[in-house]
Formats: sequence, C-alpha cells, structure tokens
Amino acid sequence: MSLLQILFNSLALGSVYALVALGFVLVVNATGAVNFAHGDLVMAGGYAAVFFGSWLGLPLILLLPLVAVAMFILGVAVCFLAYFPLLKRPPSSVFISTLLCGIMLENGYIVMFGPEIKAGPPLLTTGSLDLPPISLSIQSLATIGVAGLLIALQYLVFFRTQLGRRLRAVSQDREMAQAIGIPAFTLIAVTFGVGTALAGIAGAVLSNQFFVSPTGGVSLSIYGYIAVVIGGWGSILGAVVGALIIALFQVGASTVVPYTVATGGLYVALLVILFLRPQGVFGERVQRRV
Amino acid sequence: MSVSNVGSEPLPRQRGVGALRWLGRGINLPLLIGAAAFAAYASGAGPYDLRLISIAGIYAILVIGFQFVFGYAGAISLAQSCFFGLGAYITGVLGARYGLEATITFPLSIVGPALLAALVAYTVLRLEDQYFALATLSISLLVQLVVTQWQTVTGGTNGLSGIPGITLFGWTIASRWGTMVAVWVLVVVAGVLAFQITRGLYGRAFHLMRESLPVASALGLDVARMRFAAFVLSAGYAGAAGSLIAHVVHVVSPEQVGLPLMITCLTMTVIGGRLSVAGAVLGAVAIVYLQEQFRSLQNYTLIAYGGVTLAFVIAAPYGLIGALERLRGMITAPRRGAVPTAQPIPRPAAMTRPQGPALLSVVGVVKSFGGVRALDDVSLSLQPSEIVGLIGPNGSGKTTLLNVISGLYESDAGRLEFLGQDATRLPAFRIARLGMARTFQHIHLVEDMSVVDNIALGRATAEGVGLKNAIAAFHRDDGLDRARGIAISAARMLGVEQHATTLCGGLAYGTRRRVEVARAIAAAPQLLLLDEPAAGLNEEEQRDLAARIRSIAALGVAVLVVEHNLVFLGALAERLVCLDQGRLIADDTPDAVRSHPKVVEAYLGAPA
Repeated sequence: MSLLQILFNSLALGSVYALVALGFVLVVNATGAVNFAHGDLVMAGGYAAVFFGSWLGLPLILLLPLVAVAMFILGVAVCFLAYFPLLKRPPSSVFISTLLCGIMLENGYIVMFGPEIKAGPPLLTTGSLDLPPISLSIQSLATIGVAGLLIALQYLVFFRTQLGRRLRAVSQDREMAQAIGIPAFTLIAVTFGVGTALAGIAGAVLSNQFFVSPTGGVSLSIYGYIAVVIGGWGSILGAVVGALIIALFQVGASTVVPYTVATGGLYVALLVILFLRPQGVFGERVQRRV
Repeated sequence: MSVSNVGSEPLPRQRGVGALRWLGRGINLPLLIGAAAFAAYASGAGPYDLRLISIAGIYAILVIGFQFVFGYAGAISLAQSCFFGLGAYITGVLGARYGLEATITFPLSIVGPALLAALVAYTVLRLEDQYFALATLSISLLVQLVVTQWQTVTGGTNGLSGIPGITLFGWTIASRWGTMVAVWVLVVVAGVLAFQITRGLYGRAFHLMRESLPVASALGLDVARMRFAAFVLSAGYAGAAGSLIAHVVHVVSPEQVGLPLMITCLTMTVIGGRLSVAGAVLGAVAIVYLQEQFRSLQNYTLIAYGGVTLAFVIAAPYGLIGALERLRGMITAPRRGAVPTAQPIPRPAAMTRPQGPALLSVVGVVKSFGGVRALDDVSLSLQPSEIVGLIGPNGSGKTTLLNVISGLYESDAGRLEFLGQDATRLPAFRIARLGMARTFQHIHLVEDMSVVDNIALGRATAEGVGLKNAIAAFHRDDGLDRARGIAISAARMLGVEQHATTLCGGLAYGTRRRVEVARAIAAAPQLLLLDEPAAGLNEEEQRDLAARIRSIAALGVAVLVVEHNLVFLGALAERLVCLDQGRLIADDTPDAVRSHPKVVEAYLGAPA
C-alpha cells in the first residue's frame, strides 16, 4: 500500500473514531465520568442503520437524521437511567452503571438482531474513484465528509453560541452554573443526547465497511477512551486528534504486522505514552488543587 | 469480625462478656446466622451445588483482594481479572502440561500476578482516576492478547483442559466436597488476613488517603507506598483465586482473563460492599446465585442481570452490607464506643536537640504556574514558639507558600530548610515526618469515621503504620489505642472532646475546623501551618481558637497562620508577613505591617 493510500484509509477510519471520541468527550465533560456504554451506543447506531436501511431501502445519508433523532432519545434515556440517579456518588459509580447499561445493550442486540455480524447500507453508493496510485472508495470519502461536517458543526455550537457557552459552564462547575440560572440538568441530558447521536452516526457510518456486531462496541469504547486520554482529558480538539492518531497507528501498523499485533502495539504505545506523559500528549500538567 | 464499612476496629469496649458483646454489635448476629445457614446448606449440597459454592468462594477471594485497590485505595483497577487469569494460567499450564501439584503451583500463582502488578505499578499508580482505569485496562487487554496468541503454551482461544484437582504434598483432594471445603478454608484465611490488615490505624489511613491525597501526604503518609501495597495485594489475592478456579473447573480459557469477568468482579464488590470482608463474601455468593437463577431466561439472562444490578447500584450505594447496617440502625441506635483514656501528646524528640538559628528558613523561593509567578523570591524564617501571621490579598500566593513549605509543591528556585535540614526537594510526607503538620483551606475529614479516629490519624506516621505492622498486630492494634489516647488529649486542647465518638459527617463547621487542627496537633509537630483556620467561625469561636493556638505555641511549637482576618491575627500573631502578587512586601510587628505603605497600597490600591 502506498503511503498516500495509508493516509487516506487512516483518515477515513479516523473520522469515524473521531465521531466516537467526540461523543465520548462531550459526556466526560458534562458529567466528569466515563460512559462505558458509549461503544455499545455506537453499535446501536449501526443497528439502526441496518434496520432503517432494510426497511426503507434508502441510502444512509438520507437516514442519518432519523438515526440521530433515535439515538438522541436513547442517549437521554441512558442519562436518566445511569447518571441522574447517581449524581451524589463518586464517578466510579457512573462508570459501573454505564458498564451495566452496556451489558444490557449488548444482550439486547443479541435478542433483537442475533449474534451474527450485520452490514448496513452505504452512505451514498458503493464503488470507488481510482486515482492511481490510490483508490478512494466513495463510502470513505463520504465518511470523511460527514464526520468533518459534524465536527465543524460541533465546534461552532460549542465555541460560537450561547448554548455552547452554557454547556461549557456546566461542564466546568455544575453547581455554579445552576447558581447563575443555567438549567444544568437539562443541558446535561442534552449533552448525553448529542454525544449519543454522534456515537450513533459513527455507528451508522461504519456499519457498511466495518460491520456491526453485538459486542463490537467494547473496543470502540476503549478507543474513545484512549483518544481522550491521548488528547488530554476533556479537550474536544484533543479527542479528535487522538482518534486520528489511533486510526493512523492501526492502519499503518497492520500493513506490516498482523492485526492482533497492531492492536497489542496500540496498548503498549498507550502505556508508554502514560509512562512518559502521565497527563496525556496534549494535556497540560495541572497541579492538584489543595 | 466486625464489618462496619469504615474503621473495623471498635472503640475500646467496656468490660463485659466479650462474645456476647461482639454478637450485639452492628450486624454481626444476622451475619453469623446467615453464615451458619449457608454452611448447613453447603454440608448437604449435591455435586452441582458444591461446584457453585466453590466458585462463589473463589470469587469471594477475588473480591476481597479487589477491595484493597478499589475500596481502600479508591482506584478503579480493571486489571483484577487479568491477575485472576494469570493465576489460573500459571496453575493450569504447570498442572496440565508439567504435572506439578498445588504445593508448587499455588504459591507461584500468587507470586506471578503480584510480580506483574509490582512491575507495572510505577507507571500506573501515579496516574489519576480515569487514566489509571484505562492503563490497567490496557494491561489486561495485553495479557489477554498474549494468552490467546501464545497457542503452544496456553492452548490459544480453546484454552487448556485436563487440569488436575488440588494436590498437596502428594495427597490429592479428590471429592468435590473436599475441594469446596478447601476453597472456603482459603476464603477464611484470605478474609482474616484482609481484616487484620485493614482493621487498625493502617486501614483508617486509607480512608483519609481516599478523601484527599495531599492531606494524607501532609500528615506524613507515604501514599505512593500505600497504593502500591493495595495494588500488589489485590493482584496476589486475584492470583490465588485464579489458581483455585483452575482446580475447580479443570479448564483455563481466555474468558478467565477477560472484561466480562472484570465486570462481574466490580459488580460483586459494589453489590456486597467495598470495604468489608463480609461484603465481599455476600456479593460473591449473591451474584453467583443470581446468574444461576437467571440462566433459565436464556438470552435475556444478562439483560435481567444488568437491570437488577443497576437497580441495586442506585438503591443501595453501600452495598448489601450498607443496607443491612442501615436496617439495623433503624431498629436500635448504634452503640457508641467508650471514650478512650487520654494520653499526653508526646514532645517531639528533636525539640530537645540543639538547633540552628531558625526552625524554618525559606530563602529566595520562586514558584511559577505557566507564566504566572505565584511566588517571587520569597524569604522567611520562623523561630520555635513563634506565631507568625501570613497575610495578603486574594491570589497573593499565601496558600502556594504553605504548599511549598509543606512539600506539596516543589519550588522552581530557592531553598527550604527545616530543623537544620535541607528540605527543598523532599516530598510532603518526608517533610511532615520531620515534624511539620498543617491544615487546609478546605476541610478534609473522613465523614463516616469518629472524631477521635480522625484525629488519631495525625498519629499514623508516628505509630509507624504500614502493612508489616498491621499484620503483626495481634489481638488489639496497640498503635491505634495509643493514637486514640493522644487524639483525646488533642481533642481536649481544641475543646472538641465531647464529640469524640461522633461521626465527623454530622459536625458543625466550626467543630470540624477544630477537629482538623486537633489532627495536626496530634502529630506533635514542631511547626504548625494553619490555612485560614478562622474562616467561617463566629467571633467567640475565633477568640477561643486564638487562645488554643497560643497554648499550643507555648509548648514550643512554631505556628504560621494564613488569615484574612486581621482582628483574629492581631490577637494572635507576634509578627505579620505580607505577600502581594507573589512578593514579600512586609515582615514586621502587626502594627508596623498594618501601617506599612506598601501593605496599605496592596489592600486599598495606590493613593490618588
């Protein structure tokens, strides 16, 4: 594979991971806790794409709004089930409650869709543009386009609107935000919804090339987690960059070594990173407040 | 065995019939009845049930171990299942392939995971919460990859079968019943050891560490070492449990390393209770039987299991044990322990030693955060018995200076000398052990621990808390008794003795402040640093506190007080030091400092 091809493939995979990581970091910021059901929610988006695709027979790009709305609702439900009842508990409780939601989702998929792997519809159409020396699959191009658009939109909302300012205020200090009249809980639920919608879109987009399976979300949870750690805890841009790095690593490494070794290499690389920079690659060294 | 969530060692009991008192305490009686019922059921169980009971016991050992790192150290380790699997594979490979017996494989299954934990500890233990969880998860996934890929040894994804039962010195435990008994004997051993380690001052030190790492360090606790001990212990326990599972199910496979098992372990811990041995056993038994009950639901099994567990996590935050204790609390009010007999606060040994010119000298200290110079060439010295007030507008660097002096921050430049020793690069717990204690702007007390025990933690270092001493303390923990005696004296000095057996969570703000000062006093420091001790106190309380601080200084203790309240300081300090934007602008008598033009300017702005 040429270097250019590797870069393109990494970008395509990385943009899916970036959507996953973006949703993950949004929830981290809103709640201060890791949502370990995130990867399973990605799979929910994949299944939604498979379901709507076979039902309506439309290309995925037209189904995405439908997927997003369904996933938003699911995200808010997870928030009410696994986060709100545990507000006064340490973050580890939320960690566990989301793990349990993940288990329920995974087994729900088995019951509803069976244990086998499924493929969703392509965003536009199959096929590819051949521009020697590289081949650009239309699905990959569309994936990059959709992801890029959503990330840009997310950025605009977060840093250019009043809603974004309020969301950021809630993530910095929920009680203070409430004290100045921001409806923090509504915004947290919305954040959960938006984060899950992003996860769902990521799942819908990857359902065509990478397929969906009941337990396929676990590794995505972990990739999202790793991306956020590499990018610096809570940094939105960092999460996107972290996701791209993971994809580059996976695509690059698996051209020379088997996939399992590449995956192992990813974990080793993460440990080395944490060894050298315990605060993440882009994270600032913050001294603990006492 | 008492099972209360925090602080297992009861306060000294009054004379009486020991066994009866024990039964009456907390939820010991229902637990004992439950254990007896379970034993009766086990003695008549069929082969299938015997296997279940054995498995429940094995998980109990796994969970008891997990409580060290998750419950006591408060770190979400996701490597517990990997240590478990490692133990299982060590026993499995050596047993099935080389025919080695448990006499050899069991110790190796404990040592192997413990070694792995010790090896990775340096990297992972300095990581904070979420990073630690991810790092341990990565290690777990790596081990899982190795296990599935290294087919020639581990049998790959199929695993290894034909693992023999437990054989000790040539004698094989052949029956299921015998195996079950062996497992539960080990549960008891594991439980007693864990109880022994955590029941005294050492276990209480973990509660403070979990509440706040800096506060624990500033009291002289080597938190890195405590976390290390907890992590390695949890790995050893997991390895032992893993070894047993290989003997009981006769198969090892990658599932025994994987994430689902980790989730089961977490769930058992949360359901049972994070801190007590009884909770671990209860959680393990409950989950094993819950999974068994739901088996008939087929595909819906794990959905139901997840739902029930989630409901439980929400409804019972302290697990089954916590729920039982609350229930018990509704029936009769919990009996408070007797107030321990007071013991005098020892004079620090160094106090009698000839000293250099100053107790503490800070020379040219600089500390920057990013581009902000929080401390800029600050110099300061303190003599024994001296009370010095540190003032300055908000953000002038007062707390930063305290943090540098107490070793929580390392200065960028300058020198710190304490008791004639260079303390510039010493970590906080080492400086504290030299004879320095402090309080913090935000109060950190262990809420569900009594006042006397919170104060007793000030003695933790002096009593040499550590794993070795905790295990060696037979019958009663003498260190804890001494610490409580001294804590009572410290409580008396601060006027909080009447609250000695009250839990700190229920105290008024002013009382909590004084408990915190008492905890620092109990450490018998030569230098006491107080960060805004009068904040939130009314005038009478302030006067009272000032008098008490003066009486502490009269013992020869130097006191550095950060305070905004000049009235409070005026009645207390002999000397005031004023910081402004990180620079020391005045160091003189209170009157002189108050009228110092630079000080006036710092507070009120430049004169027009």
